Amino acid sequence: MSRRRVVVTGLGMVSALGNTVADTWDGIVNGKSGMAPITQFDASAFTTQFSASVKDFSVEGYYPVKDARKMDPFIQFGMVAGIQAIRDAGLEVTEEDAPRMGLSIGSGIGGIGSIEDGTHTIDTKGPRRISPFFVPGAIINMIAGNLSIMYGMQGPNIAITTACTTGTHSIGFAARMIMHGEADVMVAGGAEMATTPVGLGGFAAARALSTRNDDPKAASRPWDKDRDGFVLGDGAGVLVLEEYERAKARGAKIYAELVGFGMSGDAYHMTSPPENGAGAAASMRNAVKDAGIPVDAINYINAHGTSTQAGDRAECQAVKSIMGSAVDQVAVSSTKSMIGHLLGAAGAVEAIFSVLAIRDQVAPPTINLDNVDEDCRGVNLVPHTAQEMAIDAVLSNSFGFGGTNGSLLFRKVT
Amino acid sequence: MRRVVVTGLGLVSPLGVGVEPNWARLLNGQSGVRRLPEATVSDLAVKIAGVVPDHLEDPEAGFNADRFVPVKEQRKMDRFMLLALAAAEEAVTQAGWHPKHAREQERTATVIASGVGGFPAIAAAVRTTDTRGARRLSPFTVPSFLVNLAAGHVSIRHGYKGPIGAPVTACAASVQAIGDAARMIRADEVDVAICGGAEACIDTVSLGGFLAARALSTNFNDTPAQASRPFDIARDGFVMGEGAGLLVIEELEHALARGATPIAEIVGYGTTADAYHITSGPEDGSGARRAMSNALAQAKLSPVDIQHLNAHATSTPLGDRGELAAIKATFGDRVAVSATKSATGHLLGAAGGLEAILTILALRDQIAPPTLNLENPDPASEGLDLVRGTSRPLSMEHAISNGFGFGGVNASVIFRRWR
Repeated sequence: MSRRRVVVTGLGMVSALGNTVADTWDGIVNGKSGMAPITQFDASAFTTQFSASVKDFSVEGYYPVKDARKMDPFIQFGMVAGIQAIRDAGLEVTEEDAPRMGLSIGSGIGGIGSIEDGTHTIDTKGPRRISPFFVPGAIINMIAGNLSIMYGMQGPNIAITTACTTGTHSIGFAARMIMHGEADVMVAGGAEMATTPVGLGGFAAARALSTRNDDPKAASRPWDKDRDGFVLGDGAGVLVLEEYERAKARGAKIYAELVGFGMSGDAYHMTSPPENGAGAAASMRNAVKDAGIPVDAINYINAHGTSTQAGDRAECQAVKSIMGSAVDQVAVSSTKSMIGHLLGAAGAVEAIFSVLAIRDQVAPPTINLDNVDEDCRGVNLVPHTAQEMAIDAVLSNSFGFGGTNGSLLFRKVT
Repeated sequence: MRRVVVTGLGLVSPLGVGVEPNWARLLNGQSGVRRLPEATVSDLAVKIAGVVPDHLEDPEAGFNADRFVPVKEQRKMDRFMLLALAAAEEAVTQAGWHPKHAREQERTATVIASGVGGFPAIAAAVRTTDTRGARRLSPFTVPSFLVNLAAGHVSIRHGYKGPIGAPVTACAASVQAIGDAARMIRADEVDVAICGGAEACIDTVSLGGFLAARALSTNFNDTPAQASRPFDIARDGFVMGEGAGLLVIEELEHALARGATPIAEIVGYGTTADAYHITSGPEDGSGARRAMSNALAQAKLSPVDIQHLNAHATSTPLGDRGELAAIKATFGDRVAVSATKSATGHLLGAAGGLEAILTILALRDQIAPPTLNLENPDPASEGLDLVRGTSRPLSMEHAISNGFGFGGVNASVIFRRWR
């Protein structure tokens, strides 16, 4: 059996730039920053006091507010993005199709806020005061679980957690299931809400976060000389992946084809990549090989680009080594400059930006890129403003703690 | 079609450290469930759990973290990562897979699941933040609780540079880890994978949480060894357990070419969703049944080809009943059913790894392990062949292992005897 083709037919998103795909994308192509001081708790004692958090969010219009109260915010974000994607795709779940439709939605950290609240409850009021919804409201696979129940999707139900590569792996594994015939439709992505005291404090303690408290909107500056760490972002991104013939037959709107998926492990260090970006390069190479297209077909790379010193440098080296002489023609940008680092949701929202870059033939900008780091020169990093260009194929990268790498390759459907 | 065989096993469970001690104790009818220290459970209605024994109390097969991780490094890892490193050591040693060349390293995947992951480390960080302030958090706070760092540490320790994965689908997570890893080998992305799960969350927050969800047994606090009683009419919830179960799996020709000894073959895998309720399955076990059917279909086998089934059977009233219905619908009385959680408790995200290993050992030794505490079988089990009381010698060619989880996720994996 030749490999089945997988296309994207629905998109959904919640981010610091808006609670829909359209609002977020509008902010992205216009180079807006979603960073703001933290208001959901008192962050005055923390070394970092801002984030790219979701604003004015409600599940109204998606599912009952009383159900949402039993769920950690990351589950709420994931469900809303999932419902948007399913509606966008115009999916119908029939009795016949239900066992062939599944979900693959992960999170890097999951219900950390709920675990914090649960710990407080136990310590101050005793364990008998814990809600029966504490565990199902906090564990990571509950976005996929709840959506499967809501829509009656009985196919594979998975949740992957690979730190900041979660979203990319979730999409890649889902695509595999379609390619290999285990499912016909997979709703795939990631969600995160880690701007809690322990989430913020933990990443700050690891010295991973920017501390530019006086100017949050300038804080996420991938490849800029003055970058000083990433900015925590919250939100979710979900895509509907569908077998090509099925999508065509039902007249679905097709955004792009997912033609390649690659993975690798650094096997190097818990929190930093090797300087030469060998693991990142292997991941990209595997995606290109999987797609069976020449590297010079790639016009745009949505980089992992978190705005940390070591990570950004390693990724530049990796891009140069993969692209070779074609590096002159490719645009590389980091949308994390605008919506921060969504950890387990990053790969999913960035996959959506990659797909939209193909639809609108525009490469999103890297904002705040005033002085390009010496190691990253010679690459078109799309500083400050978006660039309209011919985009046929796009690579989207994610790399995570533990040395886990993933790359997705999308292409215009021909 | 590339065939996938198992070439290494590694296990840490409430029955001890090491595959063989675990197996001997299980066949012997021993239980790993015990009373917890009062400090952990003073305010809780549950007083028991399946705890990995310490080497000081169990010199033969107790756990000594210092054997696997330097003391200084232990502080950077939550306990589930330590247990994963210990199980990995055993599995990798048995498989003899120590790749030195880049290509071999890049063709080796690491897929280690956890259902709960670093809950205990997060709870500890909450207390540090509350009492001493966020600035006093250790720089290793985040990497100490991230679920995928069990896989991360194992890949770093053994130089496995292929894909890393960490399914977190609650109590089905490590069955999916095995399924994902086997798929990567079949699809020719890798040649070798270490896969399975690790879990260690026996603390006040996790116990309190599962207790609040009314999932835990509380009627047998004074007789811990009797608390986990799958399919018994007096069952009243699961017993939380901890541990890690990991398998080295490998493409058949790759294994044979390097002189490794296959222990069993993975022939089928299936996974489905109930699409029913967040914490309970449908009474008829239809999602579980479809998972088993999918696994049979992938293996190109009929129900009559399966002789032994290691059930998910956690000892909850509702869950066990759904699985019984699913087994009945799929296999009738032709399969010998064992519920080994009766001896180990429920290892949540590590349960699938542990039980896959026990299923493989059953095939290897042609013996079905016992279900303890099955004194009065649920009437719903009528017409099924449950392995009660003591282990049972049994001629078997294929065996299936089930894992089901919160969220309505089901997964089944089928192994073939190797000879």
